[in-house]
Amino acid sequence: MAIETGLIAVGAGLAVGLAGIGSGLGEQGIGAAAVGAMAEDPEFFGKGLLMTVIPETIVIFGLVIAFLLMFMFMGA
Amino acid sequence: MVSILRRLRRTKVRDYAYISARVRVMRRSLIPADEYRKLLNMEFNEIIRYLEETQYKKEIDELTHKYSGVRLLEYALNMNLCATYNKLVRISSGIPRALVTEYLRKWDVQNIKSIIRGKLFGFPDEEIKESFVGAGEYKYEDLVALLSRDTVEDVINALQGTPYHEILKEVGTKPLSEIEDELDKLYYTRLLDIRPESEDVRYLLEFIRMEVDLKNIKTILRLKVEDGTYDEIMKSIIPGGYQISVDEARKLANMSWDEVMRGLESYWFWDAISEKVKEGAPLSILEVYLDKYWCNTVISKSNHYPLSILPVLAYIILKKVETDNLRIIARGKLEGVPKEAIEEQLVIV
Repeated sequence: MAIETGLIAVGAGLAVGLAGIGSGLGEQGIGAAAVGAMAEDPEFFGKGLLMTVIPETIVIFGLVIAFLLMFMFMGA
Repeated sequence: MVSILRRLRRTKVRDYAYISARVRVMRRSLIPADEYRKLLNMEFNEIIRYLEETQYKKEIDELTHKYSGVRLLEYALNMNLCATYNKLVRISSGIPRALVTEYLRKWDVQNIKSIIRGKLFGFPDEEIKESFVGAGEYKYEDLVALLSRDTVEDVINALQGTPYHEILKEVGTKPLSEIEDELDKLYYTRLLDIRPESEDVRYLLEFIRMEVDLKNIKTILRLKVEDGTYDEIMKSIIPGGYQISVDEARKLANMSWDEVMRGLESYWFWDAISEKVKEGAPLSILEVYLDKYWCNTVISKSNHYPLSILPVLAYIILKKVETDNLRIIARGKLEGVPKEAIEEQLVIV
């Protein structure tokens, strides 16, 4: 039981962690481009911010998976 | 997995993303195509006033108490061009910065040519300074310091230790035009010697090779019009072209004007000039169409590969074209050239 719980916890951690790394990689280019555009024209702030956070959705998926793992299996 | 990681490490997305997005926004402040129609209807002073409301304001305000007329315009355009190019170097980092710096060495060659030519033919310093664009390794102050040397020999000695010195040593023994060609060749050879180790450098090299093609074809056509000999043409040909290699150039140099025109059909820029060639347009018009096509090619390539050096190079070219256009309009207006004749010379994209 203890090992299973531990593995589920590792799985949940990986789900959030890997999703975070993935979106970080995606965001590096978008963030850099957004800052570049904003440096020339501050009006790009809104659009830039929106575009930059779009890859964040992937982390939310990871988080959802982590919660599912924890609540569905660890509680059982 | 290892190859993916290596690839991710090699392509520095953020370096290109930042600079490409920034130049894209900078491109919005270039004078739009339809504004040129308005400019064509203006007088010289109105053009200066118009420029005061654009990105040239700072330079014109700074220089207006020192200069007037064409000199004010020349200084303002060159200073703005220089400031813009220096800004590109300042705001880029990593590989893009290195590539832009290398490309902008073109201005070093240009400025050195101006100094040598100006000194040899005894032009006043003020007139030589007018043409300086301190966008390469040598900034405006360095160029003025070079110009302040008494003789051409002093200027050449001051350049000792640079790659230009070897070529410039021969000033006086070789014709100046040959030395200028050698300097151009040195610039392009150095650029093409960059090792194409990554995709982004390959884009740059392809771009340079296409630029060499255009330079070569313009040289061939100009010398054909002026009845230049085969040797004269071949001395000016820059090796390393995309389609016009030295061998191709040899073939073209041996042909007559009509044969050259027929021979151009197989090259990538043929579409740009095909109609004009059939109409029998003069060389100056063909050159304008070649430049227009080049600008459009660069823009479309930069749209295809946004995370590369191409958007920056496209901006560099478009900015240069803009200053050239403004110079043509203003000078044309001052000389009383008809509107239509000026319009024909403009590269509007």
